[in-house]
Amino acid sequence: MSTIETTQGAVVPKRRPFQVRLSTRETIAAYAFLAPFIIFFSVFVIRAIFSAVNMSFYEYALLKPVRPYVGLGNYQELFSDYVWWIAVKNTIIFTVLTVAGTTTVALVSAVAVTQPIKGANFFRVLLYMPQLLSVGVVGLIWVWLLSTQFGVINYFLGFIGISPINWLGDEYTVIPALSLTTIWWGFGFPMLIFIAGLQGIPEHLYEAARIDGASGRQLFFYITLPLLRPTILFVTVTGVIAQFQVFGQPFIMTTGGPGRASYTVIYYLYEIAWRSFRMGYGSAVAVALAVIMAVFTLFQFRVLGQRVDY
Amino acid sequence: MNTRQNMLSRNWGTYVFLLIMSIIVLFPLIITFSQSLMTNQQVNRWPPPLLPVTPTLDAYNTVFSQPDLKLVLWLGNSIYAATCYTLAVLAICTPAAYAFSRLKFPGRNILFSILLITVMIPSQVTLIPNFILMKDLKFLDTFNALIWPGAANVFGVFLLRQFMQQIPLELEEAAILDGATYWGRFRYVILPLSTNAITALAILVFLGHYNDLLWPFITMNSLEKRTLPVGLQILNSAYAGSYRPIVLAGSIFATVPIIVFYIIFQRRIIKGVTLTGMGGR
Repeated sequence: MSTIETTQGAVVPKRRPFQVRLSTRETIAAYAFLAPFIIFFSVFVIRAIFSAVNMSFYEYALLKPVRPYVGLGNYQELFSDYVWWIAVKNTIIFTVLTVAGTTTVALVSAVAVTQPIKGANFFRVLLYMPQLLSVGVVGLIWVWLLSTQFGVINYFLGFIGISPINWLGDEYTVIPALSLTTIWWGFGFPMLIFIAGLQGIPEHLYEAARIDGASGRQLFFYITLPLLRPTILFVTVTGVIAQFQVFGQPFIMTTGGPGRASYTVIYYLYEIAWRSFRMGYGSAVAVALAVIMAVFTLFQFRVLGQRVDY
Repeated sequence: MNTRQNMLSRNWGTYVFLLIMSIIVLFPLIITFSQSLMTNQQVNRWPPPLLPVTPTLDAYNTVFSQPDLKLVLWLGNSIYAATCYTLAVLAICTPAAYAFSRLKFPGRNILFSILLITVMIPSQVTLIPNFILMKDLKFLDTFNALIWPGAANVFGVFLLRQFMQQIPLELEEAAILDGATYWGRFRYVILPLSTNAITALAILVFLGHYNDLLWPFITMNSLEKRTLPVGLQILNSAYAGSYRPIVLAGSIFATVPIIVFYIIFQRRIIKGVTLTGMGGR
């Protein structure tokens, strides 16, 4: 079947331009292209992950040559380490507040900049801007804005009759304050994702609903929101993963304080590994974090992943 | 004219909202800039002064003249490290993405599944082992520590693979008929067609590295080797109490290059971010 007649009348097999079956040459080429990646990936990702799990079974002090095997000792210690549980609690509260806030602000902003208005693109560019700043800079700026004595935020709150709040110095307001900072910094990325999602919703659905007399609010709740469900899932899952790893904000703005009220898991990991040089215990913290995050991610897929079909 | 008025009146709510959001976004930066032009006494006052009555460059003069603050050097370090890192990522990830998207080979699915699994694991798990490896290799306090550990960027492979998959097969088939080697197909067909994705990735990777804090903080210790975000921390812990405006001046100094970069590349940045987001869907 796959033959062609040449002008001389001889029959030669037709050359198939793109062969699907595996060829040795192609395999060699593929692994040559992959080689640099595989080498770096093996050393800095795969080896590192296994090494972290392995180290978590040892009492591994950076400066001591003797590193005894302690089995699950580090995990047992972790389980009864009240600072760890404070850090977990703070991280979860921070993550929930930040992801909820970021998603809401991002979604509303995305709807606003996709309206047929003049300057929509300008606003899009402007609202994304804070996302590009270093957490170092964001932290320094917001520490001063949130300052109790001289902070502009307390000054403006004074206008609506709210007396100065000790944002970063009070154990009840410090996590919300860090969360607020993070929402300001980070809503741009999910906003762009929502914009792309909104543009993927077929216009004729809105037209049909409008003909049926639906209001703007109904359009949002009965068309936009259900059809954005996969986007919302993506934004919240990536958001939770990112916020669980929060480090810069407490590190710069509060150094974990007041007391330990803004200790987060990664901040605690930093303290253990680079202040106390307990690399084994630090590894146990990192592995435990990975487990918690996996559980959270699965949970989200179960809750938000349902009814994606409409 | 009439339609414009109509548009404005129909969308006034949207305009008000976007205006408020713009103020929220810009205000912290403006107030920081404004107060960086004040003296310490002016800043530490209630109510907080919003505009400098007698603008002064004192803070900027101080920040650039202190021997323990090397902001220009730190900025240079940040740009140098981020550039090298970006080149390393592109050199390593582009060919890998080509193999994953266009070639068939045994082990492809297994390898790709391994990549997918590792993105589920937070990168902080690798922090301690990679730090110890850097120490053993005597890479601490050298730019090697900032370049190599993250060079196998899985996110970069995903992004480029996604993009390369969409390039029509016919284009490569033409090259095959002309007798091109695999390298030729990659270099002269796929690479030129992927410049948009590669540029987007380069910008995002550069920015991510430029802004990173924890890894450079633990690996770069000497004054001369710090990156800008790390240097700002030192600036903050040393001077925030005694001379706030120089902390603000340092923040502005670190922000300006990013904003200039953003103004130049805003279209590509926004496209690139959107592309990555769609890749995750």
